[in-house]
Amino acid sequence: MTTAVSATQNMGLYLASNPGVKYILFGGKGGLGKTTLSAATSYWLAKQGKKVCVFSTDPQASLTDIFERKIFGQGEVEIAKNLYALEIDADKRIAEYQNEIRQKIRDMYKMETIPEEVEDYINSSSAEPAMAESATFDAMVELMTSGRYDYYVFDMMPHGHAIRFLGMADILDQWVAKIMEVRKKAGEYKESASVLGSQKGGLAQEDYVLKELEFIRDRLDFVSNMVRDKTHTAFFYVLIPELMPILDTRKALEMFRAFDVTVSGVVVNQVYPQELRDSGGVPDFLKHKIDSQQEYLGQIKGEFADLIRGVVPMLDREPKGLEMIGRVAGILFGDSGVFLR
Amino acid sequence: MSVMRGAEKKEGEPKKEREIIKAAKGVMYGMALHGMVTYALRLRMHMENLFMLITMGDMLGVPVLPPYYSLRLLPYAVPYLKTWKQTLLRDRDITDSLY
Repeated sequence: MTTAVSATQNMGLYLASNPGVKYILFGGKGGLGKTTLSAATSYWLAKQGKKVCVFSTDPQASLTDIFERKIFGQGEVEIAKNLYALEIDADKRIAEYQNEIRQKIRDMYKMETIPEEVEDYINSSSAEPAMAESATFDAMVELMTSGRYDYYVFDMMPHGHAIRFLGMADILDQWVAKIMEVRKKAGEYKESASVLGSQKGGLAQEDYVLKELEFIRDRLDFVSNMVRDKTHTAFFYVLIPELMPILDTRKALEMFRAFDVTVSGVVVNQVYPQELRDSGGVPDFLKHKIDSQQEYLGQIKGEFADLIRGVVPMLDREPKGLEMIGRVAGILFGDSGVFLR
Repeated sequence: MSVMRGAEKKEGEPKKEREIIKAAKGVMYGMALHGMVTYALRLRMHMENLFMLITMGDMLGVPVLPPYYSLRLLPYAVPYLKTWKQTLLRDRDITDSLY
């Protein structure tokens, strides 16, 4: 028995019925095709005449391999008409950022050399594992607030990191709020002392620090609001018909819900075509694989039915280059139905 | 000369008065406000130390949060780093309270 299963509302229809969407995020476990689907979505949108930028936040970014162009650390690279790709080199960005800080200290205090302890602190900061995440986060905000594109497509890091990435915005936001509170109180005490004891005030410095804190808070708020804003943001989760990705998706949906982030849909990738099983000369190994996938597809259908936005088959060639990306886009935004036993 | 001395005397009187007023103000300040000012400054110092700890804690081996954003605040903290470290790392024992 075969049952036709297709996306309840495919990607094209979803975007058409949600015209306010501007930010599209793809999440999921590593190696399931987030980058491929991000690239395909960007390609399709660009073909519709929309100016799109696809950005990889994954430390193991592979847009360079997919588009067969050098993108890593090159800024926004034009891939085709209306289609741009960005893969940040976090280490390079951190080094540039550190140099900016050094220069600011030199300019502020007319110093030739940075004091040793300050230099040590700046240098040691690059060894912090969260620095790369923060630099990526910052680049992501910078891109989104630029307003240069109609659509921003994000190939997110694997699930666990993505959750941490989103959680980081909330934690840092609270942290900045506390610091601002402390800073404001310190300013008030200083002002009281100035009024009462004709002490010289240091409010100009306070203002600068508060301005910096407000800048940081605004950036964090932007991301926190963006991921929760269903009107402008669509979050798609990628899975394949195997047990672990199904369990991971289930868990992710719960975790994102806890962060008040709504998942707009799931895309099932790397599905072996059913007709392949019934064609002659197929080895048992492949038959078993297809049977197993069919079983899990049934489970996916039962569990995420309303959320399925696309079912992409395993292709005969690696999805690399614009031609293959175009093919994936055709499947994802066209008729994405596959047949289940 | 005598005229000059007279002028000095005349000028000296308001100066003396000013000094008396200043001294009186000082006494009043000391009695009424000095404690409050010192208290406000001490509170500010504690707030400043707390601010430095939650932003630059890494410097003393207290990793509070990723230093990416702390670095943005670092230039403003540079003049206070030495004092802050000394304050925070100063050993305190019972003899401290005697002095």
